[in-house]
Amino acid sequence: MDQNHRNTGILHTLGEEIIRIITPVSICMLSVVILVSILDKDSSLSSSVSTIATIAYTETTSDSEWDKFKGALLNSLVFVAVVTVVTFLLVVLFYFNCTKFLKYYMGFSAFLVLGFMGGEIGVFLIQVYSVAIDCFTYVLLLLNFTIVGVLAVFMSKIPIFVTQSYMVVIGVLTAYWFTMLPEWTTWVLLVAMALYDLAAVLLPGGPLRLLVELAISRDEDIPALVYEARPVIDPRSNATVQRRVWRDRPVNVEAQSRPQVDTETVGSSRNVEEGRVNELSVPLIERLRERGVEPESLGLEGIGLASTGAIKLGLGDFIFYSVLVGRAAMYDFMTVYACYIAIIAGLGITLVLLAVYQKALPALPVSVMLGVLFYVLTRFFLEDFVVQCSSNLLMF
Amino acid sequence: MTLAAGIGYVLLALGPSLALFVTLISTKPFLILVLLSSTLLWLISLIVLSGFWKAFLPIKTSAWWPYVILILTSVVFQEGLRLVLWRGYKKMEDMLDAFADRVAKPRLYLTDKMQIALAGGLGHGVAHAVFFCLSLLTPSFGPATLYVDKCSYAPFFLISAIISLAFVTIHTFSMVIAFNGYAQGNKSDQLIVPAIHIIAGTLTLVNLASSGCIVGIPLLYIVALSTLAYCGKMVWRRLTETQIRLTPQNQ
Repeated sequence: MDQNHRNTGILHTLGEEIIRIITPVSICMLSVVILVSILDKDSSLSSSVSTIATIAYTETTSDSEWDKFKGALLNSLVFVAVVTVVTFLLVVLFYFNCTKFLKYYMGFSAFLVLGFMGGEIGVFLIQVYSVAIDCFTYVLLLLNFTIVGVLAVFMSKIPIFVTQSYMVVIGVLTAYWFTMLPEWTTWVLLVAMALYDLAAVLLPGGPLRLLVELAISRDEDIPALVYEARPVIDPRSNATVQRRVWRDRPVNVEAQSRPQVDTETVGSSRNVEEGRVNELSVPLIERLRERGVEPESLGLEGIGLASTGAIKLGLGDFIFYSVLVGRAAMYDFMTVYACYIAIIAGLGITLVLLAVYQKALPALPVSVMLGVLFYVLTRFFLEDFVVQCSSNLLMF
Repeated sequence: MTLAAGIGYVLLALGPSLALFVTLISTKPFLILVLLSSTLLWLISLIVLSGFWKAFLPIKTSAWWPYVILILTSVVFQEGLRLVLWRGYKKMEDMLDAFADRVAKPRLYLTDKMQIALAGGLGHGVAHAVFFCLSLLTPSFGPATLYVDKCSYAPFFLISAIISLAFVTIHTFSMVIAFNGYAQGNKSDQLIVPAIHIIAGTLTLVNLASSGCIVGIPLLYIVALSTLAYCGKMVWRRLTETQIRLTPQNQ
């Protein structure tokens, strides 16, 4: 066997889909961390954000810790309640086939996020860096940017790189706004949303589970803001198929000469605008088509590394991961690194669980729980240890 | 000392790793996953160690023996974890080979296995550099700098970056040596890796003495370079052995 003539080994392609999702998640988190570091230094910009998440209690630094915790709990309960109500509303609308209305609403939300939130953050940046720009030019640029973004969300004829970039930008902007909430509220809210995600997807009466079952039974897309890694090529017609969440294909027993394209769907999507929260959530789903009979352990296919379909991740996951990392950045960079690794590990574990259980799974809980755990451990244990060792130039 | 200096310190500690990442690892998604898992494992090891030592810190005495115990326990724990990593890698190798058979691609080559070991070692090195050096570099992006009493020849950030560079090299290549040693059952390879780690750890103890870093850091670099040389020799030996076995013998 001559080394020069060998085929490319499996290492070149294995795990490609996971990397295609980890890259935009990492870019989103990095952007939020950079935004937080730049804009946090100037404390004159921080104004108390009054959204639905702070309606119950506004945190002040003079309260005791127990009061802060109780207030944060109240805030999160209100937020989760609103989210639940809106998700049920979405299920009802989807049941009555108001898909057009939902799509228009998605476009409208994208317009609000990109136009108003993006505009305000742009103004902050202009203030910090003293950029010389007049308001007419700025409005013109912003308007163009926003309209292209809305088109990217609406239409599928836009090049996929543009759509992906706009998804990441929407995630970054929304996540930055969430980091402006008070500290205790943010952490308790993250944990509450993770628990809500778990309940909504796995419990029999959960709204997301109903949504998924409705969409599967009708073989339709859920109208939601979802990040797609790449378009799926249909091997039968050899054309780019309209990107679908599920593909119901009859299992062809005799024509198994090539592996079927497995369509994996990952995600829970949240559609957030300033002041009001609306929820469009798509849980984590995988449809792994059996190739003939494979009773023994699936090995690498079983852990999701070998699938060749396109992975989709809902924008809500992007947003909440970035909120966690952004909040960690407000403390110190050591927590940022630890939380980043924890979230990526959680995402990997969720994908593995997805391939093992092969039913709808929520993408938030594992990552958020690991992220919060690592934040607490790093802040209270690791930092002292490392500072003590490093300041004496003692390393191992 | 401003953004440029801060970025300079980051690149000093992580520059070679970045080069290794871009050339070798970024083209193969599986190796990126190995790197991330390895970083996670070593982060967990650091957290466990810090949890254990929380009760004893901060060390108030200026005696050096508490630090000796600190270093020794940490190194022993991390070497134990390396064995765990090896077990996990063996299982993964079997699954990978079975998968390769199923999709009619060639099984793992020797170079593939060494690249996986390299990615694992790079994960260890990056975890060390990030948590011991990078996370303390935040003040260096500002307008001032910091000096330590015991080593006032250069800013603290520079010294910590230089030490981290040595450790990144040591960690990256000792993983390759260790995995090859476990695969071949070569006792000398298996034992030299913990030995290098302990020697490197104890060499940093020299920094505790006043102006000790003048002696400590060059010695540390000698250890790092000898790790590099040993790894290179071992890889060369293995590759030529495999070549000789595969070349058809002329009858």
